[in-house]
Amino acid sequence: MSDFHPNARGGFLENTLEGLHSAMERALYAESAAQRDGVLQRLDARVKVAGALSMLVAVALSMKLWVIGAIFALAIALAVTSLITIGALAGRAWLGALIFSGVIAIPAVFLTPGAPVFGSPMTVQGLRTGSFLIMRAVTASTLIFLLAYSTPWSHILKALRIFRVPVVFVVILGMTTRYILLLLETAHDMFLSRKSRRVNRLTPAETRRLAISSSGVLLHKTLHLSGEVYQAMQSRGFRGEVYLLDDFRMRSRDWFATGAFATLAAAFIFLGR
Amino acid sequence: MHIPDGYLSPATCAVAYAAAIPFWRVALGRVKRAMNSRQIPLLSLFAALSFVIMMFNLPLPGGTTGHATGIGLATVVIGPWAAMIAVSVALIVQALFFGDGGVLAIGANCFNMAIAGSLVAYGVYRLVAGRSALGSARRVIAAGAAGYAAINVSALLAAIEFGIQPIFYKDASGAPLYCPYPLSVAIPAMMLGHLTIAGLAELAISAGVVAFLQRSDLSLLRSTAGGVRSHDEAGIQPRPLRSLWASLAVLLVLTPLGILTAGTAWGEWMASDFADPAARREIAAVSFRHAVPAHVPEGLQRLSTVWTAPFARYAPPYIRGALFGYLLSAMFGAGLIVMIFLLLGSFTRSAARLGSDAA
Amino acid sequence: MLFELAGLTYRYEGVTAIDGLSLAIPEGSRIALLGANGSGKSTLLRLLDGLIFGQSGTITFCGDEISEEHLLDDAFALAFRRSVGMVFQNPDVQLFNPTVFDEVAFGPLQLRWRKTDIRDRVDDILDRLRIGHLRNRVPQRLSGGEKKRVALASVLVLDPAVLLLDEPTAALDPLSQSEMIDLMVEWGGGSKSVITATHELGDLESIADQCFVLDGGKLVAEGRPEAILADTELLRRTNLIHKHRHGHRGSLHSHSHFHGISAR
Repeated sequence: MSDFHPNARGGFLENTLEGLHSAMERALYAESAAQRDGVLQRLDARVKVAGALSMLVAVALSMKLWVIGAIFALAIALAVTSLITIGALAGRAWLGALIFSGVIAIPAVFLTPGAPVFGSPMTVQGLRTGSFLIMRAVTASTLIFLLAYSTPWSHILKALRIFRVPVVFVVILGMTTRYILLLLETAHDMFLSRKSRRVNRLTPAETRRLAISSSGVLLHKTLHLSGEVYQAMQSRGFRGEVYLLDDFRMRSRDWFATGAFATLAAAFIFLGR
Repeated sequence: MHIPDGYLSPATCAVAYAAAIPFWRVALGRVKRAMNSRQIPLLSLFAALSFVIMMFNLPLPGGTTGHATGIGLATVVIGPWAAMIAVSVALIVQALFFGDGGVLAIGANCFNMAIAGSLVAYGVYRLVAGRSALGSARRVIAAGAAGYAAINVSALLAAIEFGIQPIFYKDASGAPLYCPYPLSVAIPAMMLGHLTIAGLAELAISAGVVAFLQRSDLSLLRSTAGGVRSHDEAGIQPRPLRSLWASLAVLLVLTPLGILTAGTAWGEWMASDFADPAARREIAAVSFRHAVPAHVPEGLQRLSTVWTAPFARYAPPYIRGALFGYLLSAMFGAGLIVMIFLLLGSFTRSAARLGSDAA
Repeated sequence: MLFELAGLTYRYEGVTAIDGLSLAIPEGSRIALLGANGSGKSTLLRLLDGLIFGQSGTITFCGDEISEEHLLDDAFALAFRRSVGMVFQNPDVQLFNPTVFDEVAFGPLQLRWRKTDIRDRVDDILDRLRIGHLRNRVPQRLSGGEKKRVALASVLVLDPAVLLLDEPTAALDPLSQSEMIDLMVEWGGGSKSVITATHELGDLESIADQCFVLDGGKLVAEGRPEAILADTELLRRTNLIHKHRHGHRGSLHSHSHFHGISAR
């Protein structure tokens, strides 16, 4: 997420509402895609988390462009067989990665010292670096997208336990996502009601004041809710230690996938060094 | 600045994780002790709040807009350790669930923004606020300064992480494999944007919401207030740890002054200095004109090859600019020492607890 | 005697929410705590559920004192939390797990039941409340009525002896409201007790055998629903009914009334 936005035609409210909308929509899409009957959806969450991570590491370690390209091709194949459309990939995974990497990579093509290309200000090294940046960004983004959209979020969290992430952390992560959705809706309603009461666009100063007061109100709500949630947790027996229940069971296809991911990752790491 | 994947080498990411994990563990332990089990809903909800604040596109003077992280605000309301975890959780959810920011880079992002950010914010807040009343304007300024400082330190750390990539990680043809911009480009580029845009956004949120809270619920600012000046405070006030942090920060910045002192400190010569005529003259001059041995003393020769420091002479050749090498060394050195002590502290505390449990 | 309160006082941020309250609730009761907003009925429910503790006076459950220290005792805490279950007014507070299944499983998990038992029991209760199809859904996306049923399931899964309900029909559409009432009627009676905090007078007679009326943190009346409903002076004094102009079959007039499902 870039920190630099030119203040284009949209004012604060419009831009923020859009941001909130797309975030909520992403959450919605994640839920439905995870329920389709594709290749990835049928695998155990732990296998997918470990697999995604090993592929990410292979992408990061690679010193050869074609290896990254191969991993990218594999990711596309998995997407297609998991009924995740290329359009969704393009819109959600690639667009952001391309824009951001483009901004960084394009100057690098000209600025990186090295042999010039056909006498132009571009250098061979610059082109290679730019390619590395863009391909790594897009491939990594695709891998994460595949994981997030083929697996229910609660399963991803519980699968983190294989990396010895403490239970309390996993519980906090789960509760956070659940309440992000609530706070997003509350913020959305606050802005919508403000927008509807106004004929003209708000001035920047007014917008800032709205953002600040909304944050203040949300903070109050946050603190109030946390006290209430704590009581609700206690009411059902929570006394400090949290326990998780997971439905994970390795079936033969999961073992096969584990073997496949491990072999592929090792191969890619070896080939890319 | 949310660093995506592909800009930092896996080694850098691993080091960042290794740096972040001890802080997370200490923070979780501290928060649990302070709040018992209440920390679970509080941290979750504050993480959600931080996430939502990160989505606000704030218009700033000059016609630009920027995003804040809420680290300054969180630190002032729930303290640095809780803020560290809350903002880390928000960043992790952003990366995993919403695809903003890299996954391998989570360690680095959390270290820069959540961990360093919260500690810096707390130090600056306590330093600037002093013991002023909870509802005073000074507290608002302190909060704003805290947020501003935090985000800029985060940006600096990110810039350093970016800038060292082309030094270490190039392929056979000399093309940088990860971030291609050296420190001389990365630092100004990052700092410009953060000193002006993102820093102001953070300042606005931190100061603005604290001012809002002063009107709506003053007690929310109490937990990080430290000793607010009151009439009936008797007894010895233990020296607040935070002013020590602040002093450390100031000292860090002043370390390049060391370059101004000419020459090498007495006794800190290298084996090669004994062969160099200019160095020999210097050694004699500071040793009351005592005769300098013609050859390198045998013991010195043997031992000098045992350990080669990673940051030789505080300014390894690949870091251009002695000044900058100094500052980096100071930061890493201080950071390393701090981490060691924190780790030791957490171990001794858990050992003490085990001891008292067994008793 | 299920609950016994003697001179219980609870203050919070300078406000005395419960003021020297004394009452007794026998086992197998169906109780309604009546009062307008701010009368203290929500606070009383939380005191009964051992979530907050009074500054003076005593409160006991089946003879055992409900206090912060006593709840530190594992045996008592586990037994108490299982026996008394509360459904909060705001479902967002009660639904804090990522999925409906996780939510309902939370209670048994914290009470350390066996994992195989938990799975079966959760599926069973989801079916009984006809929300089995919502098993893997995120609580955020559910309708008001569905959320209430999930909240109820998350408490009923423990098979508590006492059910505390805080404004159970608030913010529900009429169909969900009547379904809720049916559930409450089914549940009470025999050895099970239901204590409902509400200001809705509409279905009082179906959900309660005994009413306690609260005003300003004090107990101002108790009796059978018919008696309470007949005492219009009391109801008006405690803000449970109001008088304003409204329409009846084409003519405007005003008289004391309340809004509810079975409008009189």
